[in-house]
Amino acid sequence: MHDVAKHDDSKAQYFWVWGALLFLTAVEVWLGYRQIFEPVRMLEVLLVLSVIKSALIIGYFMHLKFERPIMRWMIVISVVGCFVIMYSFFFPDADRVLRLGVK
Amino acid sequence: MADATLQHTATAGHGLAGEFEAPLFGAYSKKVGMWLFLASDSLTFGALLFAFSYNRIYTVWPTPFGKDSIINATVMTACLLSSSLTMVMAVFAAQRNDRAWTRNWLLATMAFGTAFIVLHGMEWTKLIHEGLTLPGFPKPAGQDAGEFAKISTGVPQFAATFFGLTAMHMLHVTIGVIYLGVVALRKWFLPILGVIWLGATFLIPADNVFHYAVHALLLGLIVAAIILFLKPKVYDAHDVEVCGLYWHFVDLVWMFIFPLVYLMSTKI
Amino acid sequence: MATSVTAHAHAGPQGFIRKYIFSLDHKVIGIQYFFLALTAVWVGMFLSLLMRIHLLWPGVTLPLVGDIKPETYLSLLTMHGTIMVFFVLTTAPQGGFGNYFLPIQIGAPDMAFPVLNMLSFWTTFVAFVVIIAAFFVSGGAPLHGWTGYPPLSALQSAGPGEGLGADLWITSIAIFCLASLMGALNFLTTTLDMRAKGMTMMRMPLTVWSWFITAILGLLAFGVLLSAGILLLMDRNMGTSFYVPLVVVNGQIMGHKGGSPLLWQHLFWFFGHPEVYIAILPGMGVASQILSTFSRKPIFGYKAMVYAMLAIGFFGFMVWGHHMFMSGMSPYSAFAFSLLTMCIGVPSAIKTFNWLGTMYKARIRFQTPMLYAIGFVSLFVSGGLSGPFLAQPVLDIQLHDTYFVVGHFHLIMGVAAIFGMFAATYYWVPKMFGRMMNETWGRIHFFITLAGTYAIFMPMHYLGIAGGTRRYSQYTEVAYLQKLMPLHQFMTYAAIITIAAQFIFVINLFWSIFRGPKASDNPWESTTLEWTTATPPPHDNFGGVTPVVHNGPYEYAVPGAARDFVMQTDPAAGTTH
Repeated sequence: MHDVAKHDDSKAQYFWVWGALLFLTAVEVWLGYRQIFEPVRMLEVLLVLSVIKSALIIGYFMHLKFERPIMRWMIVISVVGCFVIMYSFFFPDADRVLRLGVK
Repeated sequence: MADATLQHTATAGHGLAGEFEAPLFGAYSKKVGMWLFLASDSLTFGALLFAFSYNRIYTVWPTPFGKDSIINATVMTACLLSSSLTMVMAVFAAQRNDRAWTRNWLLATMAFGTAFIVLHGMEWTKLIHEGLTLPGFPKPAGQDAGEFAKISTGVPQFAATFFGLTAMHMLHVTIGVIYLGVVALRKWFLPILGVIWLGATFLIPADNVFHYAVHALLLGLIVAAIILFLKPKVYDAHDVEVCGLYWHFVDLVWMFIFPLVYLMSTKI
Repeated sequence: MATSVTAHAHAGPQGFIRKYIFSLDHKVIGIQYFFLALTAVWVGMFLSLLMRIHLLWPGVTLPLVGDIKPETYLSLLTMHGTIMVFFVLTTAPQGGFGNYFLPIQIGAPDMAFPVLNMLSFWTTFVAFVVIIAAFFVSGGAPLHGWTGYPPLSALQSAGPGEGLGADLWITSIAIFCLASLMGALNFLTTTLDMRAKGMTMMRMPLTVWSWFITAILGLLAFGVLLSAGILLLMDRNMGTSFYVPLVVVNGQIMGHKGGSPLLWQHLFWFFGHPEVYIAILPGMGVASQILSTFSRKPIFGYKAMVYAMLAIGFFGFMVWGHHMFMSGMSPYSAFAFSLLTMCIGVPSAIKTFNWLGTMYKARIRFQTPMLYAIGFVSLFVSGGLSGPFLAQPVLDIQLHDTYFVVGHFHLIMGVAAIFGMFAATYYWVPKMFGRMMNETWGRIHFFITLAGTYAIFMPMHYLGIAGGTRRYSQYTEVAYLQKLMPLHQFMTYAAIITIAAQFIFVINLFWSIFRGPKASDNPWESTTLEWTTATPPPHDNFGGVTPVVHNGPYEYAVPGAARDFVMQTDPAAGTTH
């Protein structure tokens, strides 16, 4: 039986993660006001930041970083795989509707 | 939920240990079950975000959120992030077998979660009052016919995706708070929940959408009562960790909704 | 039921309600699912009978439903599809047999989460009640087909059944999604965490693998349908426009604009195609198990079978677009979907050849379960072969929404999966109820059903190629379709005979449960764990001991062994997988 507290946890690391998350949120809000990017580029930047934030949450707060590799990869790959499949087939379609001018 | 593997491990002294193969994921069943649920739930949200993107990609998307909305949403984000931290502290306390502090940290998490819900509810009410609404919502007295009302009729997808995404997330936060409450206070949480439900039903005016939405609490009360009736037990460190997983997931989803819904639509 | 043998055996609950109604025992829950599906399949079959009769005699007033108007025909069709897909094909193989036999076959005392298991069944039951209620509300059952395409499904005023009936339909589907999610994560956790000592992943019976992979599909697919359903409910009741563009119904402009019906199609089929495999994969597992047992040979290519099922599950998520070739989707997506769909043929062919390889040069025992397993393979091949036709976007333009499609999916997803269930029933009823089923009547049932299903669904392919469109309630008004009426006549007669033959099955089942000859612990001389325990199994499956597994699941005709099979628990010189 895998024990919940097997590895060396230091509480400090969670405070660092929390701080990093707040900082990234602040960066996002700042970007939202600065408008230094084109909307599409802005979307990309925001999504990258969000992915970083969610990786921090999943990895540290949800402890996945410390789980067994098979669990880590099975779960991450299946969910991310589904998203990739959904989105990569989905958007060409929407894009086509856009170009056809169907509103 | 019952955990047969745990039961068998608990009886290890009776010579039953090692009768099972090592769990493939190396974690206890409840945790695996919760992770699997979260995988499924993330696809539920994925599909909603999909609907959002699909509607958005070929529409001229309005950018109406003013400074107060963004500040409000940022505070909400900070609430959720901080609640995740207190949740981690609760898990630590539970692992130390420190019941009092487990409960305290869980209550702190619930407080942040409730703050999130209340702030979000006020935000909704304000937006609806300013005219951002769905045809199915009750019409509050003195609803504005300003910019937001124009958006609601001109780009109906904007209001639809906004309310759809945030309502689903708010529902998850509410379920999360109830879940935390059950873990922290067990059956003593039920009367508290009942009072909140009754109070909210009477205090929120009938022209507010939350007058109806608050009945979700009653549903939660019933489900929580059934579960507490079926499995009356003292929740241990495993249970706290598993409900923490759910809570962090709710936090995680907001990390995508916040930039997509709010920050991509800021009024400059 | 539970006779505790050792100190560790858990005594079962004693009261009637806790023992049979709100039971936590996976075996009771499995039987509950089984009978729920049996009820549902009779409802669904009755609806199909009404449709067939109406197609042949359009003017005739029928019992219970009265005059069949075109709308009534559409609601019969909708409810037939929905009940069959959700409450039969998803419920019986996975919820019924999976619930009963997955824990036993891996040597576990119960599911990982018994309470969740019980809630999952009762949630399914509520969903069933809700969908049946749709018949009785004002306006009747919905018209939009089991796929529920908007704008028809999204507008309250679109038709007589599209009011409360459609709301109940969506609510039922949403509740069913929740139930399936609970079930799926229970199955997965049980398989991952509760295998008996020695039961490594590669020693699991193929049935367990099939339930496991089905659960993965269910876990990832039903969540998507849930949110699609929520959005549809919002469109109907909140006035949002996710799925509805600017439409005019009966000369009235609806208050929607800017939505896209394609969105629903994408979300629905993202669930819908994995759902096809949710229906068929357990059948594949059962067929493998039975073919190996009754051929007295190890399954041909165990690992290939496992990987083929994984590949089918994997590809199952990437092909949903082949249902949408006619929707105006991007030709590039259509190309990708077509290619990936063809790829599924490869693992399917691997499975078929392995089944044939298992039977090759075997001394086959032609008992009823085996007949049904062979029938499954036959139907899987004949239904599967029309798949690559439909996977071609160019051919699909001709064949879309014709009886060709109806014939295709009924053969492969409907009847093949049902044959898997029949095989499982004849094979496992001795273990579940402790009585053997009647062999002679079983064979008669098999031959009539096999011939009958081919007679019903094969002509549909010709009908479809000739341009016979599906979902039409009457063909008497259309000139070119009238020439096809003799085919319809033939199919309707075949359907009546086949449906009548199902009474043989039900009578045989109930007669056997109460009066059949007592079954021994291992009547089929099979090797998997469920045959090592008592018949019917005690409350915690193995009487307080957990079995230890030494062998792979299909050790038949082992050289040098005392019998021609080696149980999974036999420590004696078995080969290892």
